[in-house]
Amino acid sequence: MSDSGYINYFELLGLEAEAKPGEVRNAYKKLMKGLVGDIAQTQITPDRRDQFLLKMAQLNAGFYILRDKERRAKFAEDRARVIDLEARWREAGERGENVEALRREYDGALKHFLATYMEELILEAGRDAECVEASHWDPSHERHASRVLRHYRQRQYNEIHERLPFYEITKPVIDWDERARAAAALVASKGA
Amino acid sequence: MASTATLNPVPVSQDTVDACIAWAVSRGDMVNFRFCFISYSPLRSDSTEDVSTPKYSYLRPADENDPHYREALELVQRPEIRDHVSAQLSKKGQAQLPWELVLKLADNAVRLNKMTTAAQAYELLRIRRRMMELFYVEGDRALDDNRIDDAVRAYAKATALGYDYAAFPEPLPAVPNYQTRALMMHAIYPQKPEDCIALQPPDTHLRAALGYLLSDEAAARLDSRPAPTRVAFLETLVRTLDPEWDAFAKRYHEACDMILKYGDKNKNPEQDADDGASLAEEIEKAQKERDWNAIPATLLGRPIDSGAWWQYLKELAYQHPAAPLFISRQIVSRDVEILMPRYVKNSEIVQRLGLAID
Repeated sequence: MSDSGYINYFELLGLEAEAKPGEVRNAYKKLMKGLVGDIAQTQITPDRRDQFLLKMAQLNAGFYILRDKERRAKFAEDRARVIDLEARWREAGERGENVEALRREYDGALKHFLATYMEELILEAGRDAECVEASHWDPSHERHASRVLRHYRQRQYNEIHERLPFYEITKPVIDWDERARAAAALVASKGA
Repeated sequence: MASTATLNPVPVSQDTVDACIAWAVSRGDMVNFRFCFISYSPLRSDSTEDVSTPKYSYLRPADENDPHYREALELVQRPEIRDHVSAQLSKKGQAQLPWELVLKLADNAVRLNKMTTAAQAYELLRIRRRMMELFYVEGDRALDDNRIDDAVRAYAKATALGYDYAAFPEPLPAVPNYQTRALMMHAIYPQKPEDCIALQPPDTHLRAALGYLLSDEAAARLDSRPAPTRVAFLETLVRTLDPEWDAFAKRYHEACDMILKYGDKNKNPEQDADDGASLAEEIEKAQKERDWNAIPATLLGRPIDSGAWWQYLKELAYQHPAAPLFISRQIVSRDVEILMPRYVKNSEIVQRLGLAID
């Protein structure tokens, strides 16, 4: 069973699943302080700015979700569900069963998980008073973060899909030497 | 009460199925290929549509002697592929496409420069990123052998396989969008003439040009090449992307001549002096004599009614992708901003593209 690609905010904050709200707060403040220090000491390029923005947004979201009992429980439940659905779909695929219904269910759960925990709640956390105080998050951060988070979400979606069973086409068997020759021939041919 | 007639399925021969699928594969046509397998496809065994009617003539091969069609047909007729296709056309629900045909279709799409289709097909096969890399490697090899034409073709194919995972609502191929990229390049008004892209030092200009016409990734790969190689590469790239480049260069010269003419008038104001006229009248007369909007209109080859600089820029970038690299925005009076030609005279790329005037 694979859980990579499904963000784990406990892991992000270096916490156990049973961590108390106080521990969540301490871990968040420590990590955020370190991050703000890193930002101050680094020459900012557009790439680094996006990386820092993403990291800051994730820490805010981790704190926002895990310090609240209901949000934390819902997050754990949704994450366990999407991981379970992926495993069930994979197993059914390997057994050669008709997996279309299962695939659709998994895809819906995956999109929901990514949209909720890798975009919506991250942006919501940026408007939380405690997060704003610790990270100095402001509307200009949110404007940039919307774009960064959308890229991040889609990248994760794609990475997860890369490891899933093929369903739109039969499983390809690629001969890379043949592909290299094909690329050379296509470059040499001057069009139609 | 409406009458209900029962329609019977129209039998479709295996040869027709093979021919239609092979034709779509040979033309790199993903839309028709998918249509062959869709739930209401006329190739399905339970379809009541007749594929032999003119309505479906676009699915049938237009040239049965086309070598690429013959090659695709051979592939389609392989027993294991034929069996799979038959099974998919008989079953209910979404068909699973045979990967061998998708791969062949992708290669044909690359051959025919249908790069959006190629990117989608390689993406389905989950080999798009590696195919990009193979084309880059092929381009690097061509540069090592000084085969500039091949290198340009390889780099152009590699960058055209780019994919925008952040596209909404689903990831899409990243198509060349010079109209938007040119606007971004000229978004900030140059406070000093030297700030504009066209007047950058040759090396900076070259790097920016390759990034704009291909991608930052491609430009970074070319960084290690000597300047003369990159200049030759850029020239070939510009002419490949724009077969009408020489016509643009001619209009560019005309626009430069207009600017020089207006400049002469500024240098010799006494020639135009109108005895007794007030300063306001002289300014008004000068403004009327100088039709500034004629400059971008000359560059583009047609005037745009009440055209703003950005309208000219977008159309110019669409017609001649490299043109935005040799122009800049210029405010010429309180409410008139135009595009005008600008270049560094001793720049080799300017010389090679025939833009410099004597």
